[in-house]
Amino acid sequence: MSKESDLREKILIVDDSEMNRAILSEILNDEYDIIEAENGTHAVEVLQKCSDEISLVLLDIVMPEMNGYEVLEIMRSKRWIEDVPVIMISAENSTETVDRAYELGVTDFIARPFDALIVRRRVVNTLLLYAKQKKLSEMVSDQLYENEKTSNMMITILSHIVEFRNGESGLHILHVQSITDILLRRLVQITDKYKLSSADLSMISMASALHDIGKISIPDEVLNKPGRLTDEEFAIMKTHSAVGAEMLDEMPFYKDEPLVKIAYEICRWHHERYDGRGYPDGLKGDEIPISAQIVSIADVYDALTSERVYKKAFSHDKAMQMILNGECGTFNPILLKCLQDSASVIKSELMKKTAVNPDEQEIKSLADALLNHDELSTSKRTLNMLNIERIKNDFFAEVLNEISFEYLASPSTLTLSKAGAEALGLDSFIVNPLQHDKILGMIDAMELNNVSKTIHDTTPESPNAEYNCKLVLNGEIQNKRLVCRSLWSIDRTPKYIGAIGIILDLQEGR
Amino acid sequence: MKEMTIKECYDVFGGDYNAVLSRLMTEGLVKKFLLKFPQDGSYDLLIKSLDEGNYEEAFRAAHTIKGICQNLGIESLLASVSPLTEELRDGKGNFSSELLDKVKEDYRAAVSAVNTIDV
Repeated sequence: MSKESDLREKILIVDDSEMNRAILSEILNDEYDIIEAENGTHAVEVLQKCSDEISLVLLDIVMPEMNGYEVLEIMRSKRWIEDVPVIMISAENSTETVDRAYELGVTDFIARPFDALIVRRRVVNTLLLYAKQKKLSEMVSDQLYENEKTSNMMITILSHIVEFRNGESGLHILHVQSITDILLRRLVQITDKYKLSSADLSMISMASALHDIGKISIPDEVLNKPGRLTDEEFAIMKTHSAVGAEMLDEMPFYKDEPLVKIAYEICRWHHERYDGRGYPDGLKGDEIPISAQIVSIADVYDALTSERVYKKAFSHDKAMQMILNGECGTFNPILLKCLQDSASVIKSELMKKTAVNPDEQEIKSLADALLNHDELSTSKRTLNMLNIERIKNDFFAEVLNEISFEYLASPSTLTLSKAGAEALGLDSFIVNPLQHDKILGMIDAMELNNVSKTIHDTTPESPNAEYNCKLVLNGEIQNKRLVCRSLWSIDRTPKYIGAIGIILDLQEGR
Repeated sequence: MKEMTIKECYDVFGGDYNAVLSRLMTEGLVKKFLLKFPQDGSYDLLIKSLDEGNYEEAFRAAHTIKGICQNLGIESLLASVSPLTEELRDGKGNFSSELLDKVKEDYRAAVSAVNTIDV
């Protein structure tokens, strides 16, 4: 029975010999859609564009430009091989060759001369195996997501109990959690000093909700006193941090769990000060765990911008100014920079957050982080949408006849629009463009470096950059304007992926 | 020359027609690919690369021919192109010219056999 063509799985055949491709294609094209690539570079180009759509790669070893091993290396470093199985087909059949192929992650190795039935059989088996694995991963990931959602909910309920008694702002913990999350993400973008994994980030945000649990032990008349606290009352109030930590430490179970340990740090030390003048332990600088330092600054910001029984709410700008001027304690300079960098994000984030909308952010899947698979549950529909996006993209690039480009950092590749490739006299797909002879003949290496740096220096929040430069085209110097936008991964900690952009003429006198 | 059947053609190659047929499944496919064999550019590339002293390219071309011969069961050419491939593997160009002559001879024999297949 013939299947709908969009439901057929796609197989990428990579072989430099047209004849070999034709034989494989003939064997498989009844059941599958075939894409052919004549060498490794071309294969990487295809995978770069649509690795999500390729179900299997049949890969030759000895090929010009980029051989099969190099393709496998790239597939490994890009983690494509986790979702796209590879069957190697080669006339090489020494033990070392086969061994090396398996070591690089191929699922199967077929030696020439191959038998059509065996090729079909192995293709079917490999596809089934991967489909099952994918299904299982999806189930595990959904399950993890559910579990995490439940525990988040429990933490939120628990911290709301504390908040409720406090009678102040039910939003306080949500706000602290959002700000903590935003600051953390910025922190790992600008430094790797604190060695925070994405699992750490999500645990710190989650545990931040528990920062004030110790307040459960503070008597009502102190906790909810409308006026200023006496010294004695303030001393009682200050015990909440140590008490909260103690409560966690005295739990009969779970106290060695990472989440509980982080919650302990946050509870005990979120009122320490960077200069050593905080409480309860007078820790100084980075003696204070980074988790507590961040929650501390988030706590102060939200306290300033919220209305309390004893004070009015300050505006965002005023609060920022007070924190940066050191009117509300001393903080780690790196965190002050994070706060400044994220000011606009924080402002808008807190504005849209309401009590009935505890935001998906808190239940962002730890499962994703654990499995390191962004695309696990990519459905057919998403793929179709991606496909439409691509067609749209290609269409506009062609109709508008502009020099537009797409640069991906790893592996370093440049894709030019058709008009762009013609105007610049380059191939439309270039591997390692920063070292490409023709490109370096067009633009000074230092200038190229500056362009690359300008793009790199953007952030996910403000990804646009412009750059004026001189290009040598057909022997004459032309002034061009480069308008581009950097691309970032959707991970919790966005990673730089590359950039898209357009090259415009810069008219004289403009 | 009289037209050959595919089976007779395999007698010329010294190949096992039945084995190839069982691998590629139908006579139609065997014939289709055999007829493509003379058009494959790998042989010309091999000779050209050797003339130009481009031994890496020559190795790849010889390797491709070897793969094709394996798939199509062209045993005579496979027997000479395999050792030539190994000699070219190190990219230094130390290969025996007798072996190359043998490859040329086997290639021509294979092509002329294919060209007489009854189409």
